[in-house]
Amino acid sequence: MNDNTRSDSAMLDNKMDDLQFRRSIFADPKSQDSDILAAQHADPAKKQLAHELCQFDEKLKQAMKVPVPDDLCHKLLLRQTLASHQQEKRKSRIHLALAASVAIVAGLVVNYLQFSNSYTNVGDYALAHVYHEQDIFSNDDNTRVSLTSLNQKMTTFNGSFSESMGELISADYCRFDGMKSLHLVFKGVTDVVTVFIVPKEEHLTFTDKFSDEKLRGESLGFKDANILVVADKNESLAKWQQTISRNISWSI
Amino acid sequence: MATKQVRYEALVKALHGDLYRYGYWLTHDKQVAEDLVQETFLRAWRALDSLKDEKAAKSWLITILRRENARRFERKRFDMSEYEEASIMDTESTSTEQTIENQWLRDKIAQLPPEYSEPLVLQVLGGYSGEDIASMLNLNKNTVMTRLFRARNQLKDALEKEPEKMRFTHE
Repeated sequence: MNDNTRSDSAMLDNKMDDLQFRRSIFADPKSQDSDILAAQHADPAKKQLAHELCQFDEKLKQAMKVPVPDDLCHKLLLRQTLASHQQEKRKSRIHLALAASVAIVAGLVVNYLQFSNSYTNVGDYALAHVYHEQDIFSNDDNTRVSLTSLNQKMTTFNGSFSESMGELISADYCRFDGMKSLHLVFKGVTDVVTVFIVPKEEHLTFTDKFSDEKLRGESLGFKDANILVVADKNESLAKWQQTISRNISWSI
Repeated sequence: MATKQVRYEALVKALHGDLYRYGYWLTHDKQVAEDLVQETFLRAWRALDSLKDEKAAKSWLITILRRENARRFERKRFDMSEYEEASIMDTESTSTEQTIENQWLRDKIAQLPPEYSEPLVLQVLGGYSGEDIASMLNLNKNTVMTRLFRARNQLKDALEKEPEKMRFTHE
């Protein structure tokens, strides 16, 4: 467009020429550009052309609206449902694997807590064990365990007693901080006397003598096992230790 | 999960028609257009989380569809000039004046070079501005406006060469 060649170029300076208007209105009939609106306002023929083109656009729009297949929407939704179902299946496998992992970890933790060595020395554990079971046994219990059945149980530790050391209320295996031990309960002077036969293990420090405000205990170390005596303060532990040492014999 | 599903269904319901028509004018083939729309929505589902602004959904989907269409050309080159006019004929034979006129216009739109028809469809059917179209097609705005001008100019010329159609398009 070369306005300089036109004689009336000065007049057209702030107006659109026909060609320019035509180009603009053909490119966008609905244009709200202020120049284009002003040109339409000034010239009824331009307004008519714009109006005509808007109508033409409406017809184009109708023509462009080709019929959409009725089932397309359903197909799209179905395909997605199938696709995400596959995804779900993959996800649920992942979830299952996660759940299994959690279960395994939980199992390990429980196992660890249950069988962990929360006591560092024999004495502490022995006292705790006795307190834990103090309601189960009493000095007045009438049950007695024979020497024979005691020695039967002692075979686990390769040991035996030559004669009865007192009135044995109970003799049972028990778990002594995770180790299989023999738990003996004798009738004592005022309360029961507890004797543990515990296999030698490294994780519990051997403590010779231990006590708290109520109970006292002493350990005797043998080749394969420790023998612990726990009793109240009225009991002579030394006497019990002597009796045990005298009576016990260890097979190889 | 549920909200994603809901968003997706809303998108499909609101926009599958526009998208199918856009695909149709891009490919001039109903079946191909349908496949393109299916592929587009499948990709849209996978990428739905990246769509932040629902207002931008339509142009987002159109962009995906154009990319899918380009892929189709990579897979199988086929010559646009080879399409048969018959393939775009609408077989509905309710011969009202309106459908005859629509059919005639459809043929003419289909005969436009694709670089002219694509912005025209986006403008007329999609309601996009020159700027929107320019950014969607990666063109500058002047180019888009020139193509829109030529598209309408060619259609008008065609109309004037077939005066018997005048009665439909000029009341």
